[in-house]
Formats: sequence, C-alpha cells, structure tokens
Amino acid sequence: MKSDASHSLPLAPAALHVLLSLAAEDLHGYAIMQDVARQSEGKYKLQPGTLYDNLQKLIRRGWVEELGHKPGDDDPRRRYYRLSALGRGVLEAEIARLAAVVREARLRLQVGKPGRA
Amino acid sequence: MLRFLYRGLLVLHPPLFRKRFAEEMQAIFDQIGSRSGRIRLVTDGVLSLLRQWSLRTEFWQEPAPVAGEASPKGIPSFLTLDPFRPRAAAVVQGITLSTLVFCLTCFSIRYSWIHVLHVRIPEVEFESPASHERAVPRPEPGPIRSRAAAPRQDSFSGSSRPSQTPPTKASVLAPAEGTEAGAERDLRPGPPGQEDKRRAWSPTRNVASRVAAVPGSGLSEIQLALSGAENLPVPRTRSVQSLIPIQKISDDEKHHVIELAAADLAKYYAEPDVARKMGAALEVHEKHGDDDAATEGADFADLVTRQMQDVSHDKQLILVYGAALAPDSPHPPSAAEIAAYRHKMERTNCGFEIVRVLPQNVGYLKFNSFPDAKICGQRAAAAMAQLNDVNAIIFDLRENPGGYSNMVALLATYLFDRPTHLNDFYNRSENTNEEDWTLAPVPGNHLADKPAFVLTSHLTFSAAEAFSYDLKMLKRATLVGETTSGRGHMAMGHRIDELFMIRIPGIKVVNPVSKTNWEGIGVRPDVEVLAADALTVAEKMAETAAPGK
Repeated sequence: MKSDASHSLPLAPAALHVLLSLAAEDLHGYAIMQDVARQSEGKYKLQPGTLYDNLQKLIRRGWVEELGHKPGDDDPRRRYYRLSALGRGVLEAEIARLAAVVREARLRLQVGKPGRA
Repeated sequence: MLRFLYRGLLVLHPPLFRKRFAEEMQAIFDQIGSRSGRIRLVTDGVLSLLRQWSLRTEFWQEPAPVAGEASPKGIPSFLTLDPFRPRAAAVVQGITLSTLVFCLTCFSIRYSWIHVLHVRIPEVEFESPASHERAVPRPEPGPIRSRAAAPRQDSFSGSSRPSQTPPTKASVLAPAEGTEAGAERDLRPGPPGQEDKRRAWSPTRNVASRVAAVPGSGLSEIQLALSGAENLPVPRTRSVQSLIPIQKISDDEKHHVIELAAADLAKYYAEPDVARKMGAALEVHEKHGDDDAATEGADFADLVTRQMQDVSHDKQLILVYGAALAPDSPHPPSAAEIAAYRHKMERTNCGFEIVRVLPQNVGYLKFNSFPDAKICGQRAAAAMAQLNDVNAIIFDLRENPGGYSNMVALLATYLFDRPTHLNDFYNRSENTNEEDWTLAPVPGNHLADKPAFVLTSHLTFSAAEAFSYDLKMLKRATLVGETTSGRGHMAMGHRIDELFMIRIPGIKVVNPVSKTNWEGIGVRPDVEVLAADALTVAEKMAETAAPGK
C-alpha cells in the first residue's frame, strides 16, 4: 500500500472522526463513540458496528494501532487504539484539504453576498 | 433477551472480526442502560453482520505477510514462484460469480433454442415467380393490395411458376416437370406446368407487350425490385408503381375484359358452379353500372377482383392490371436456370433453417419453404436423419410459404410406415384427378410411430398448409399455432389482353379423408395459440407425449 496520504483522500466522515478522536489521546471504542458525538455536538453518532468496521480498515491501513487492554481500566474487555504516525499524516493532509475547501467556500460566499448599500 | 440476541449477532460475525471486536462491542452494549439504546445497538449489530459478510470479505483473513521484498543480505531477490494465494473470500466470490454466469449462459442457450430470433435480411432474388401479379401497382389499400402482399409461393405449384417467369438472364427458375421426364408423381404440381404449353397465352389475345414502357432493361429490373422486397409487401408495390403506366380505360375495354374474364372463369376455375355465379355477378355489376366509377386500369382490376371474391371468397382469384409486365412466351426452364435454382437452394440450405434436438430429446425442424425434392431431397433426408432418434418431432411451418408438393410427400413419408394417400389434385380444365401419396418407407426410419407436431401461423401458405392439413386429417400430427392462410387451390395466370391478366385457381386439392380442402378457411390447428407461443406449447406437449415419459 502506498503511504502517500493524498491517495486516501478525502476521508469518509466516520474515518475522519475516528482519526480525530485518536489525535489527542489513546482511546477505547466506547470513548471514541462518545468523543465523536462530542465533536459533532451530538449530530453525528457512531454506532459500534460502524466504529469497528472503520477501526478494522484503519488498522489494516496502518493508520491506527491497536494497543490492547490498558492496566487499570475498569473493564478488561476494552482495548485501546492509537493514531499512528502514518495516520496522523493522513489526518493532517485531510485537515489541510478541508481547510482549503473552507477557505475557498468562504471566499466564494463572501463574493456571492449582496453588496451593502 | 436483547443482550442474548446481541451476543448471538456478534458470534455470527466473521471469525477475525469477532475475535478482534466482539468482546469490546459486548462491553459497549453492557454500558448502554436504556432499552431503546440497546434496540438501536441490536439493529446496528444486524447491519454490521450483513456488512461484514457481504462487503468486507477482504477482512475475513489476516493479510499475508509481504514476501521477498529483499533478501537477508539486502540484495533484491526475484521470486519466480509467486507466493500469492487468493483469499478465501475472493475464491468464494469467484465461485459464486462463475456459477451465476454459467447458469445465465445455460439459460440463454436454452432460451435461444426455444425462442429463435429471426432477423430477416432482405435478399435480392432474381426469381419472381409471380411477377405479373406483383407488377400491379396498388396505391391504395384494399383487398387487392393485401392479395398482392401475399407471399411469393401462394400455391404449391412450384414447378408451374418457372414457366411463367420471363426468360431474362436474371431469372432463376425452378425446374418444371417438362425438363425431367416430368411424369413423376412427386411433381404433381406439374399440371399447371403442362397447362403452360397450351393455355391462354395465345398470341391472338396477347396483343402486344408493353414491356418497352419499362425503362432500362425492363423486366429484370422490375423483378429485382419486386423480389428484393418480397418480405416487405407494402414497399414492394410502390417500387414498381412508377413503372406501370396509369391509363384510363374505356367502357368497351371494360366490357371486353369482363367478357373474357368470365369466359376464363368458366373454363378454368376449379369450382364450375362458383365460376358460373361469378360470371353472372360480373355481368350484373356491369349492367348496373357498378364499374363506371373505376376509370383507371388498376382501379378497375381491383373492383373486378372484389366482385369475384365477393362470390367465391377465393383470395387467389385476382384480376391483374399491368399484365404487360408479365412474360408472353412461357417456356420450360433451361439447364442454366435449373442450375441456378440448384445453386440457390444449396446456398440457402434448401430453406432448412434449424434442425435441432431440443431438451428432452424432442426433434425440431424449421424450414421456410418446400423446395423441389429433386434438388433438395438429399438435404431433407439428411435433416430427417439427424432427428431420427428423437422421442417426438416438431415441424415448424410458421414462416413457410409453401412450394413443391413432392417435398410434402417426401417429408410426410418419415411419419408413416407404409405409403399413405395424402391428397388428390383435381384439374378442372383437364378434368383429371391425380393422387398424391407418401413414398415407400425409408429404411431405418424411427419416426413413423413418434408423436409429431406441426407449428402453424397465418403466414403458413399453400404446400405448408397441405402438409399440415394432410397430417391433421390422418391424425398423424397435432397442429399447434394459428389458423393458416387458406390457400388450397393452385392458380395460374391467363392473359386477357396486353394490360390485363386473370389469375385463376384451376386445380384444387381434395383430401381423401375430408373430401374437401382448406381453401378460403385455412387449416385450423388442434391447439390454438399465438404463433409466437406455438413452439413453447408444442415442446411441452411433445415432452409429455413422447414415449417412455
């Protein structure tokens, strides 16, 4: 698989949110779900099926690493996940792409606005 | 309960996914307290299950380690044996896809076997057996036009046709009995041919040929135009329309035509009583001034034809305008013409379009003419030999416009274990009656006791109708399809003058069982279905009726 991030862009919303959740710290699945809901202010809620489907893909691509159980966690069934360096690169590329889109969009919306008298 | 259900769903996931994530998903489920939340998770579990099994086949197995990127010493190695092994999922998909394609292919083959698609390519033929009647322009729809649109062989008088065909280089003529010691029984349609030699093409009545009115080389061009559009009846009449002079005719000429037409009817028409009635009707119409409206030749011919058909209901009886385009001097076909006919038959496999054994060992023979058995006998025998071991046989005559009666007898021979009386041919003008029988049984033939089916349509004409009718009367075949066109007489052209010709059915077929024929009414099938469905229906019947079933 090519490591060039541009080949993988744009990311699907679920993948983007998962990567974004893991960007700050290592999290287990349930925490990722909650963080995604928080990121989107409750508008986008990941269900476990979608979450683990995406995690499966992200792990296979090498963007996310599976850390396994973390000592001291309440529930021994939980596994933690970490954003890999490759995943971080992809996320940064995606954020840059989105930023360009937002910039362009703002510009156009500004131009398109009716002029003030 | 929901927990149990969710656990079950997780267990059903692909092993790798289950091993990796099932515990954690279960932990999430346990963390959700509300019932509605758990129901949502169960729904999500179902979707996940479907997704993982159908769309994530690449995750069913761990990825194979990348092999041979470099040798231990850092020297790139070139592996000659590819370590690639297809994923199990890919194999499963491949098998599924292959099976699907295989099934579809099998289905298509079977479908095409049963539903034969016919793409007609208009073929320029140089033969125009009934050119004189086709040469009549029919600018307006009417009974005559539909008559003119009739297929090329509208009576099984194949051998008689050639002698009417003009002796142009371009014409390909079927051999007449005169060329081959014509007394053989299987050239029964011969009588019309014999009639040629003495019939009404007399110079006294044939005042002058107007062929010169046709631009260019005349007849052959017309025939080309006509025969090239044989299967396209409407354009056919148009193609020659401009070649026929539009001419007004006088009352005297009308009277002359009616008089001679009535005389010809009385002399030649197969049913003397009907001929008399028609003659009287023509006279009455003339007296009442019914003919006054028709001032042009073509209209007048239409009108008189209608008047004759109103009495006789005989679609083959027709007054033809533009007769000048027909030949004046009929002659037996030359050796070259016979050779050309033979060549044409060889090129078209004698009209035997499909010879096939359908599933359940049902034989299927589709042929679109009854060619001269003298030319095509061997091919017919070869076709029947191919089907010799079938359990039942289907003859497809749905697009068969007829031809030679000797082929009718030849093919029917395979269905009987002894010579069988098929028909009588009554020649009115000669007052002769000739019997038509099947030939001696073919050695090694296994079809004599096998169920037989004949597919018919409204386009089944003449000799094809004879074949259907004979087998029906003898209860030897089950007819499936539509009622046939109803051409039970054999017609010949008789010139009236340089522009008019009358085509009179002078020989009638009399079936020994029914003592009548199908003229005007057609042969009614035993099982009446649309022609398009006939094969499917007959095939099912054949499968059921076949011995040993």
